[in-house]
Amino acid sequence: MKYLIIGGSAAGMQAAEELRKKDKKSEITLISKEKDYPYSRCLLSRYVDKRMSINNFYFKTDHFFKDKNIKAVLGKEVIEIKRQEKKVICDDLKEFSYDKLLIATGSTPWMPDIDGINLAGVYTFHSLDDAKKIKESIKNARKAVVLGAGFIGLEAAYALSKNNIDVTVIEKGSQLLPKQIDLSASKIIQADLEELKIKIIFDESLSSINGEGRIDSVTLMNNSLMQCDMLIIAIGVRPNVFLAKKAGLETDRGIIVDEFFRTSDKDIYAAGDVIEINDIATGKRDLSATWFNAVLHGKYAAGNMAGYRKRYTGAVGIQNAVQFHRIPVISFGKTLLEGDDEYKDYEVITILKGNVYKKLIIKANRIVGMIFVNDINKSGFYAALIRNSVDISMYKDRILDSDFSYAYFKDNNFGEYNTYFKTDECWERPDWWAHRLHCQMG
Amino acid sequence: MKKLKMHLERCTGCMRCELECMAEHSSSKSYMRASLSKPLPKTRIFVESMLERSVPVVCRHCKEPLCVSACMTGCMQKDSKTGVVSNMGHEQQCVGCWMCIMACPYGVINTSTDVVGIKGNVFSQALKCDLCPDRENPACLEGCPNEVIELVDIKENI
Repeated sequence: MKYLIIGGSAAGMQAAEELRKKDKKSEITLISKEKDYPYSRCLLSRYVDKRMSINNFYFKTDHFFKDKNIKAVLGKEVIEIKRQEKKVICDDLKEFSYDKLLIATGSTPWMPDIDGINLAGVYTFHSLDDAKKIKESIKNARKAVVLGAGFIGLEAAYALSKNNIDVTVIEKGSQLLPKQIDLSASKIIQADLEELKIKIIFDESLSSINGEGRIDSVTLMNNSLMQCDMLIIAIGVRPNVFLAKKAGLETDRGIIVDEFFRTSDKDIYAAGDVIEINDIATGKRDLSATWFNAVLHGKYAAGNMAGYRKRYTGAVGIQNAVQFHRIPVISFGKTLLEGDDEYKDYEVITILKGNVYKKLIIKANRIVGMIFVNDINKSGFYAALIRNSVDISMYKDRILDSDFSYAYFKDNNFGEYNTYFKTDECWERPDWWAHRLHCQMG
Repeated sequence: MKKLKMHLERCTGCMRCELECMAEHSSSKSYMRASLSKPLPKTRIFVESMLERSVPVVCRHCKEPLCVSACMTGCMQKDSKTGVVSNMGHEQQCVGCWMCIMACPYGVINTSTDVVGIKGNVFSQALKCDLCPDRENPACLEGCPNEVIELVDIKENI
């Protein structure tokens, strides 16, 4: 069997590791268009503000390919998949054949269609190359504009402000992280970021980027001019479906896969940012561009490629944890309610105390979404309740109490090892103390 | 691999295991001294309450650990020999992104926000049970006055 993986980031690397675990003999080849050894994209902002050295970027050990006997082809881009002949063609016309192929090509940043987008000093913040360029140019930059207040935009803004650059974030919507959190959470994070003198402008967008050869200012939609030395575009990502489309695979916004991560061709699988998958929290098919999801996709896809049929259930598109400055935020599942008709079925439980904000969205006695700000301990436990659609009707009155924890679900092991010896029946009875002698003897 | 297992009916909720855990994972190995220095001691075993009963919750070093999948730096790893899931002592470093906290279904990963690095900079790290690699038996087990915690050896294909 010959396995071929296109893409060497979270999904691709995880798939390679998992394939080798499941299949010790077969040939595994990984083609990545990035010439750098696979690195973690989420850490790029830490490179720019020098919190991390470049040696710590690699999320697998540097002898990963050698240890696992995986052939790595770095710095080559696949330009075509020939499904009939079962091979792929690279940009240098070199061909690789496969028996099973995994497409994990990831995503590229959206570029808005505005004047001056090609000027020097306009960057995206997606790859190590971008980060290197930005790090180079911040030496003589004083003012920067970041377009988009999503995760990448705010990470970039934080990193730049740590380099004593005057940063302004421009967001089209009326809050930070508009896809992940709600207005109350956004206000807490905004106050946190404004401590670092990051300016944030809502409900505004760029109309043009000005300068000759190099950016010197941007014009906003309200015609005001803003001086800046650099502009970072972070308005979202778009899946790299070009290859799959050209090969005639079924695609929508991303590649469409079944719950075994198989595309419309039975020998081609896809994983990571590039696919669309049914989200159990929202009930819709959606893209998801997060590290965690990509790794899970890669793991399951590889298992299925190696012949262990394993259905992927409990896919949740939005699962993010982040801490820009002082306040950590976790958002999971369906965090936003949109449209009036949808309000009827949903129940919302919130706690807002100073900087601590917790919100759960419940539908039919099951949690479907959560936002935790500043107090994030045990948030994973709520996430597990979402992922496994656990009925919480018995505990609704205490669900956000500080002492509500996994202890209430101690018999639910979420598919893992049980850490508790069997207890006597009287253990859980309200009058246990009457039987305590017997109980405590075990 | 070795795993911790609990006799719940013996637990009185004294939280001695939490104190022992904090002491063991401090540089001075003493709770009193550690609580006066930085980083502040944080527990990795949690005695939770449920309907007036106490339930110690601790990492079970999962077979398919979600915290390892979630880790974006690659420092959270399941050891291929011992099976222990830990984020310390690997060439990659924990940066405190809290992805593992979001992933852990049992809520047994703690946060530490005042770890002091070599250059004197303060950073965050996730803390979790490492089964006390320096000791024969984990500190919580040895500290428990009621023998709630037991170390069992189970077969697991890692």
